[in-house]
Amino acid sequence: MRHWLRIAIPKTYMDRQRRAGFLFVLPALLFFGSVFLLPLGQSVVQSFYRNVPGGADQFVGLRLYEKVFTDSIFWAAVRNTLHLLFMSVPSVLVCSLAVALGLNRIASLKWRNVWAAMYFLPFACSLVAASLVWQWIYHPVYGILNAALGVFGIPPQKWLQSLTQVRPSIAAVNIWIRIGFDTMIFLAALQSVPAEYYEAASIDGAGAWRRLRHITLPLLNPQILMVCILEMIFNFKIFDQVYATTQGGPASASQTVIMLLYDTAFKYFRFGDASVIAVFVFVTLLVVTLVQWRIFRKPVEY
Amino acid sequence: MTASASSRDLPERGARWRWAAVLFVACGALTVFFPFFWMVVTSLKTPPEIIRVPLQVAPDNWLNLNNYREVFQRENFIRYLFNSALVASIAAVSSLVVSALAGYGFAKFHFPGRDAFFLAIVGILMVPFQSVVVPLYLWVNRFGLLDTYLGIVAPDLVSVFGVFLMRQAIEVIPNDYMDAARIDGCSELGIFFKVILPSVKPAIATLLIIKFMWNWNEFFWPLVVVNSPTMRVVTIGLMSFTNIYFIEYNLLTAAAVISILPILLIFLCLQRWVVQAVVMSGLKG
Repeated sequence: MRHWLRIAIPKTYMDRQRRAGFLFVLPALLFFGSVFLLPLGQSVVQSFYRNVPGGADQFVGLRLYEKVFTDSIFWAAVRNTLHLLFMSVPSVLVCSLAVALGLNRIASLKWRNVWAAMYFLPFACSLVAASLVWQWIYHPVYGILNAALGVFGIPPQKWLQSLTQVRPSIAAVNIWIRIGFDTMIFLAALQSVPAEYYEAASIDGAGAWRRLRHITLPLLNPQILMVCILEMIFNFKIFDQVYATTQGGPASASQTVIMLLYDTAFKYFRFGDASVIAVFVFVTLLVVTLVQWRIFRKPVEY
Repeated sequence: MTASASSRDLPERGARWRWAAVLFVACGALTVFFPFFWMVVTSLKTPPEIIRVPLQVAPDNWLNLNNYREVFQRENFIRYLFNSALVASIAAVSSLVVSALAGYGFAKFHFPGRDAFFLAIVGILMVPFQSVVVPLYLWVNRFGLLDTYLGIVAPDLVSVFGVFLMRQAIEVIPNDYMDAARIDGCSELGIFFKVILPSVKPAIATLLIIKFMWNWNEFFWPLVVVNSPTMRVVTIGLMSFTNIYFIEYNLLTAAAVISILPILLIFLCLQRWVVQAVVMSGLKG
């Protein structure tokens, strides 16, 4: 407390410097406090209150949690989200790693940049536009995907309108959107691996697979962990893609957690229930990140 | 690197691997690129063409721009583009100013609680926006900011990524520069504008571009706060070409091209900075 007072009324040069530093970060602190921390706290508080239209909010303890967590619709949304996530996260991880390894082998810098730019294009594109274009590709009657499969004699599929295919189809869109971003991260990491490691391994007679397994992958561990966390967060928070194409359908087969949150809050205006989901999302992502961090983070030495 | 190592001892095998890599990368790249191609092609077709069976890839007339004309006639798309550009610019500039100030404070000053504050800000990355959207909506509603530019831009005025980026960039500026300016009688704010900002131009460019891009593509928050057609941003405007029955994909794809084009041009011209930003955000983990 004492040094805060000294900063508020500075007497020495050092105190003036400290005050200057604090004043420089103050706008950011105020903003983040009011836009993230305060509302987060409010979300938590609100999840204990039932709001009565036109009246004062009523404290109900954990009743809203009980209500949401015993609701089969909520758990169906969680299941759908996890299903989507488990389909797209491993795939995008493997695909982007493979592409990065391939790009890293292309000797011509110019061509490498051209190919990398093509993978990177979806990153610049809004999720809404991307999803709507994919919806057209997936169109059951006039879509080009069915037309292309028809060439091989495969009958038309319903894709986004099918109960079983809708989640894999959306997962594929997610992979398409994210592959460039992950590839860039892996490529940057690959380029910082010293070439001598591979030379030494070659001299020792290690083949391509063993070099990948024992040199490249261990050195890329931090990036793999990070991409994994980022992808899990991205996929868990999936909203735009679903809202723009299926709106959660058919028959709620693609209803995700954030879709449910949006509907609960802004379609049915049940802010208490929505706050419970909001707290659930926050806690889940926090736990997932911290657990992955603890388990998989190994020190890497170059 | 791998290639050079393997090609040195096994030249033939190395070359074969390299061609396999090129083939794989090229096939993947063309697959990733295909939806863009298909979007442009569809936007050049007439309604009978898009429902033609069997499907024909090429449009009858490659210069048929009627769909684009109709997009602008049917919806106030110019206004949507303007709204998006305005909102994204405000967000980019504002977050640049606040992030640069905070980055300078965190990088070059010592004050009690500095590291704790910085950790708290980075920890905000863990808070998903959807977890705070309901209280934010209620606040915006209370201040009468629904359907206003300020309401749309409010949560995006500062970015955690920006603070992080600016701190990284400013940290490596030698302290001697600042001390020299102080001896010359420059104020702290003067040092910030005359010494610090000119030294971190690449970081400034990176932050402006990536923040503009993110906000141009923002969908969730505008969906919550925007009601009236005049305040729509392009991502919301795109949705007005969809309905539960048959969607006119020739118009929808034309609108999508219009909405993506500005950002894609910026992206392609300034790709170097964007990649740098991604790598920065990637390597911090």
